[in-house]
Amino acid sequence: MTEQPPPPGPARPEAPLPPTRPTQPVAPAHPVAPVQPVAPARPVQPVSATNNLPPPPAAWPPPDATVVAYDVSLSFGSLVAVSNVSVAVRPGVSALLGPNGAGKSTLLRMMSGQLSPSSGRVWVAGGDPRQDAEARNRIGLVPQQDGVFEQEKALSIVRLAAILSQLDNVEERARWALNLVELDPDIERPVGAFSKGMRQRVKIAQALVHDPMVLMMDEPLNGLDPRQRKQMISLFHDLGSQGKTVLVSSHVLEEVERLGSHVIVIARGRLAAQGDFRGIRGLMDNQPLRFRVSCDNARAVAASLIGAGSVVGCTVESATELQLTTADASRFRREIASVCKSHDVRLVEVAPLDEDLESVFRYLVGGG
Amino acid sequence: MGAAFVVLYRLFLRHQLTTGRLVLIGSLNAVALLIGFAVGTSDPFDPTQAAADIVWFYGLGLMAPIISLVLGSSSLGDLQSDETLVYLWHRRTPRWILAAAAWLAPTTIAIPATTFGLVGCAILAGGFSGSLFFGTLFAVAIAAIVYSAVFTLLGLLFKRALIIGLIYLFIWEQFVARAGGGAARVSIGTYPSSILAKLADVELFLADRSTVTAFVVPLVIAGLSILLTARRLDHMDVA
Repeated sequence: MTEQPPPPGPARPEAPLPPTRPTQPVAPAHPVAPVQPVAPARPVQPVSATNNLPPPPAAWPPPDATVVAYDVSLSFGSLVAVSNVSVAVRPGVSALLGPNGAGKSTLLRMMSGQLSPSSGRVWVAGGDPRQDAEARNRIGLVPQQDGVFEQEKALSIVRLAAILSQLDNVEERARWALNLVELDPDIERPVGAFSKGMRQRVKIAQALVHDPMVLMMDEPLNGLDPRQRKQMISLFHDLGSQGKTVLVSSHVLEEVERLGSHVIVIARGRLAAQGDFRGIRGLMDNQPLRFRVSCDNARAVAASLIGAGSVVGCTVESATELQLTTADASRFRREIASVCKSHDVRLVEVAPLDEDLESVFRYLVGGG
Repeated sequence: MGAAFVVLYRLFLRHQLTTGRLVLIGSLNAVALLIGFAVGTSDPFDPTQAAADIVWFYGLGLMAPIISLVLGSSSLGDLQSDETLVYLWHRRTPRWILAAAAWLAPTTIAIPATTFGLVGCAILAGGFSGSLFFGTLFAVAIAAIVYSAVFTLLGLLFKRALIIGLIYLFIWEQFVARAGGGAARVSIGTYPSSILAKLADVELFLADRSTVTAFVVPLVIAGLSILLTARRLDHMDVA
């Protein structure tokens, strides 16, 4: 690999670690970038999966990026897990989206310093987390694996994390972190007896205890019930709005939609797209999309929609159900309502068939 | 730094003491007592020499290295296999503290866990004396220190550290190293045996290192192993 010059911008100067403030648990300590609550939405940039990434533009990465992976690749034997990925993550909540096995956990592990890339470089808040303990300490890590110290109590685990991070007010910080994730610090039973959701919250608490500048979380919402999910997403947003960089990986599109506006899509070990989530949805809308329509007169609706022009293909599945393909989703959504009204047809449901994650990847990676 | 070491040491200590390992330690001690009883009832010609022979062959040859292997190889190895190592590894605490705590925990269990059975064995064999007690104590301590350090490293390097360790103990330490003086020089077991021979003033096979050498060489090996463990922690990938 040819050694690339370090990208400009992302905080290479050795920034001092923000002091931990016991009285102000989640302080917006940010030595690298000016506080910019949430990264502004940028146009989505689909990236060719078959070609190598072009050299980054001069303005890349953004000056306020706190996490930068530049042209990183990692192979395990003949398996290429991540290939030539360049991403920059700014303060705010960002989502790393990809199907299982896409390489997002590997990328996250490289960005957190757990894995050494075969080529390319990683910076987190001014340092290489693999080499620099201070840079590593600016990261709060929630690993994907379920295992925590099974015999220990939740408070002991978070206290251990606080001590290893060399905090002064260990007990206070540990209790604060557990309270933040709505877990009682005084639960007596060991973590091994916890539900999966409770264990996830212990993992998040130990990541938060040292008030890190960057939070990297691999599928942190797994195992949480809907209420806990909502609460965690709200917590992530709070942290993001305080100027922290919150990077969350997920393979659930709906989850990502609620998580953050900035999305990095990884598929087959490559960067498939990055940018604003709505941009990705917009791109999807400009592609031929399939819908299933349930109504009480499928034939009449199908005939009218084809005549109206927004529908390019249609299959009547039954008297009450049809499946159709449209090249203009927004126009179709407008037309279906008026068509049903004009035929006095009762419209029961319009369900998109291509909004699952696989369809997004099929489009982003395969070109349609 | 001190607080980090203490909390890590306690964590490793708690995780070492599983039911299976306690049963193994208990069984090895019970066997030591049985051997001592058997020797004692057989009216040996020189009870002290007989007791020292048991401590040498069974205690230093099997019991101390096996207990150290089981505890040492699991110290970091278990955390690596259940993927909890990352919670310790990802913190800013220096790697050498993690390595040292991971070594000290099995060592502090192995020393009393081995000494108890061997002292009982010597008493039952009828050869117990002050010099044999101190010889056994120091020899076991040195054996536990060096074997635990080596096997802690082994546990970090290999998934099947227990098997590899057993092969090493039975093929190299028990067989090859006892073939002659040359091989014995590169055997860890020679050094604790020499300490026992010198301090208890008994004759043991191929235990002819000087007292200083017998103390210094294992400590150097242990130190190097801890350094290598720290270095490995520094350079390894952690899932």
